[in-house]
Amino acid sequence: MSIALDQVTKRYQSHPVVNDVSLEIQQGEFLVLLGPSGSGKSTLLRAIAGLVEVDHGRISLHGRDVTGVSARNRGVGFVFQHYALFRHMSVADNVEFALRVRRMRRSERMARRAELLKLVSLEGMDDRLPTQLSGGQQQRVAVARALAHRPEVLLLDEPFGALDAKIREELRRTIRKIQQELGVTTILVTHDQDEAFAMADRIGVMHQGRLLEVGSPDDLYARPRTRFVATFLGAANLLLGYRKGNQLRFERPRAEAVTPREIVAVIRPEEVELTTGDNLEGLTLVGSGTVQELQFSGPTERLRVRMPMEGPLPATPDREGTDGTTWLLDASRTFPEQRANPLSIGQRVTVSARRIHSLPTPISSFTVIAREMPAAQALRETPLLATLATRMQTRITMLTTRSGSAPPGMPVLAAGPGARATALWNLAHGASQLLVLPVGAQIPTRIVVLPGAEAGVGALGVAASLLRHIPAESVLLAIHEASTPDRERASRLRLLLDARSTALAEHGLDMRTELRFGDPDTEIERELSVDPNSMLVLGLDSLADRETARLNTLLEGPRLRPVLIVPALGAA
Amino acid sequence: MAGQRFVAASPLPGFGLTFGFTTFFLSAAILLPLGALMIRALGIPPTELIDILLDERAVASYRLSFGAAALAAAINAVFGFIVAWSLVRYDFPGRRLLDTMIDLPFALPTAVSGIALATVFSPTGWLGQQLALAGVQVAYTWLGVVVALVLIGLPFVVRSVQPALIEVGKELEDAAESLGAGGFHVFRRVILPTILPALATGFTLAFARGIGEYGSVVFISGNLPLKTEITPLLIVIKLEQYDYAGAAALGFFMLVMSFVMLFAINLVQGWGQRRMGIGATR
Repeated sequence: MSIALDQVTKRYQSHPVVNDVSLEIQQGEFLVLLGPSGSGKSTLLRAIAGLVEVDHGRISLHGRDVTGVSARNRGVGFVFQHYALFRHMSVADNVEFALRVRRMRRSERMARRAELLKLVSLEGMDDRLPTQLSGGQQQRVAVARALAHRPEVLLLDEPFGALDAKIREELRRTIRKIQQELGVTTILVTHDQDEAFAMADRIGVMHQGRLLEVGSPDDLYARPRTRFVATFLGAANLLLGYRKGNQLRFERPRAEAVTPREIVAVIRPEEVELTTGDNLEGLTLVGSGTVQELQFSGPTERLRVRMPMEGPLPATPDREGTDGTTWLLDASRTFPEQRANPLSIGQRVTVSARRIHSLPTPISSFTVIAREMPAAQALRETPLLATLATRMQTRITMLTTRSGSAPPGMPVLAAGPGARATALWNLAHGASQLLVLPVGAQIPTRIVVLPGAEAGVGALGVAASLLRHIPAESVLLAIHEASTPDRERASRLRLLLDARSTALAEHGLDMRTELRFGDPDTEIERELSVDPNSMLVLGLDSLADRETARLNTLLEGPRLRPVLIVPALGAA
Repeated sequence: MAGQRFVAASPLPGFGLTFGFTTFFLSAAILLPLGALMIRALGIPPTELIDILLDERAVASYRLSFGAAALAAAINAVFGFIVAWSLVRYDFPGRRLLDTMIDLPFALPTAVSGIALATVFSPTGWLGQQLALAGVQVAYTWLGVVVALVLIGLPFVVRSVQPALIEVGKELEDAAESLGAGGFHVFRRVILPTILPALATGFTLAFARGIGEYGSVVFISGNLPLKTEITPLLIVIKLEQYDYAGAAALGFFMLVMSFVMLFAINLVQGWGQRRMGIGATR
């Protein structure tokens, strides 16, 4: 392992800019950290270099824990966006800086300098001053300088940001070539996805301080796991789809005996097929709309199709071009496609998809359920739900009538009288999770997860999804009743530890575990009272009375808190 | 060259008018009086001129003026740098107020600062009393002159170094550190050389100002001939004695020195700009 990050966290004024990042990078690997500005990628890079101290977590380079080691002793090479060359020194002195610091002999220094300048194609520039060089040349000097002391790790912070397009392309190739020649483990930070695709062995996407996903460029593009990555890496249409068995459709379900499972489908513009006929062989029907925009852009034609809201729904509420009743779907076509089937603005088209990727997110959308509209509106504006939906880019729909089955998406109810009955009805009629909120509930600062034996995996998945969007402390809880036989105690303890390692392995979450002894209701209450702003994620193994009895106090009791209920598969 | 114009269109009226005004203004305000002074001084027979310039009292005043100005500028170079550093690198409550206060010696009539200093440093003043106990006398000695010139020269150094330090930024330090350099090495090899032209400019400006300073010095120096008499004061004294030739000769000498200083500043700035393109301009 060349670079290992273990739960690295950095806060500025208690706001985490790098939040619990764990990552391992192989020897010789080229990793690109990609993210919008303010996502924490540069801070993370500086933390690896030792230029920023971390508040929590460990950083090791080649097996050596360097968390407390100063930048000067870490032996990494760092390249800055604005070169940071020493302007009073010649190119030669700049390149030799690290060697002089290490008191290398003059003859060796000169040999190494010649070698490095050859590497970056700047032979004969030794005596120039940085001000006499172009931007691209200056950055080459910076690269040579960073490599002089043969660092095991090369870190580049937006190195092409200040250069124009053509130089950028050229320097990209040079750096990639040098990196492969030397086999030096490299991390490059950028906000430019083309750059990431062009250079990376693996890409790590950062957002709001979290490392959301890491993977090879093609894998991340074809099979993103989160909404953010799906939309940040290339263009994407995110739609709510409904799955029943093997069948996926986009038409919304109406009063069906069995609620289909709602998913978030990713359809890339190039996978959209626009037809005027009705031959849809090998394609999945999405809906129909009218062509609103045609844009010629070199090798491809870009189109936008206006789709009615009654048809398929976009999974993200604030997609560009959305108005009350319609939204815009992106499509692109190659020249041969365009020639075979010319389209014009205003034309009606059938939209279908060649390839659909469904996101493995447990929360596809929220459905607020209430008797009357004002109550639904109040629940919808509850800070916890509103903030969560904004951060997750998730649609909230409102429902005031009950149909034959639970609504698709996650039902959201108001806590208080009657909540338990409605919750149980929805769980029994196909809801795969359910959120019960006191009206006005704030974003929690502590999330307590009581996973249950059967429901554990699902509960953890949902908790992980929440924690990716809420910077809260998380606790895994298990309770031993006085009546629990010893044999069962051991197995419960094992379950708890298993859940913890699952959380870590699958979701990259480090959760604290808490084992309590006594009456479950009292112990849950105690655990939730640790922080007034707690939220409970409750795994339900079955809907039998024995299991659901405690919902009485939790959902209708004197002290109401947000409770997310996740039943085990087949609990209904 | 037919048709070649070296004037670009501009929002101010005609080149002729603005250029004419510039030359007129420069002539009326600067060249004319200085020219008159020069003619007056050069009208003195050379031997007499040399006698005036090498007079014992005059030489003593040069020594004090130049020596104290150089010492004060050197002190300011060190402490002005530290002040600029803390203003640029740290954010503390009252930073902006402090930043504004740096310019106070600029804005204050020099006589006011002179009286203020004299009050504080006189043997009965706040600081003077304490220093007298330690056996140090500031007021009415050459030390007093230095103190006054330090006060007057500080803004020049701070305001020269400040923009250069801002421009150096944290990144250069980070770069040096990641290459393995320790704190002192970073300062000596990276920060100091980078801001050196700016520091040199500040030093020269403070020095030049120190030589010419009059108002703030005369109150604290005591003005003893041969001991604490600065050259500008000597000129005033000569004028009061109707010795116009003597005053003009000394004035001429100061003028030449000022030119030399200006020239030096320009050299330093040009050198700095060539070398790193920053920091040398105020």
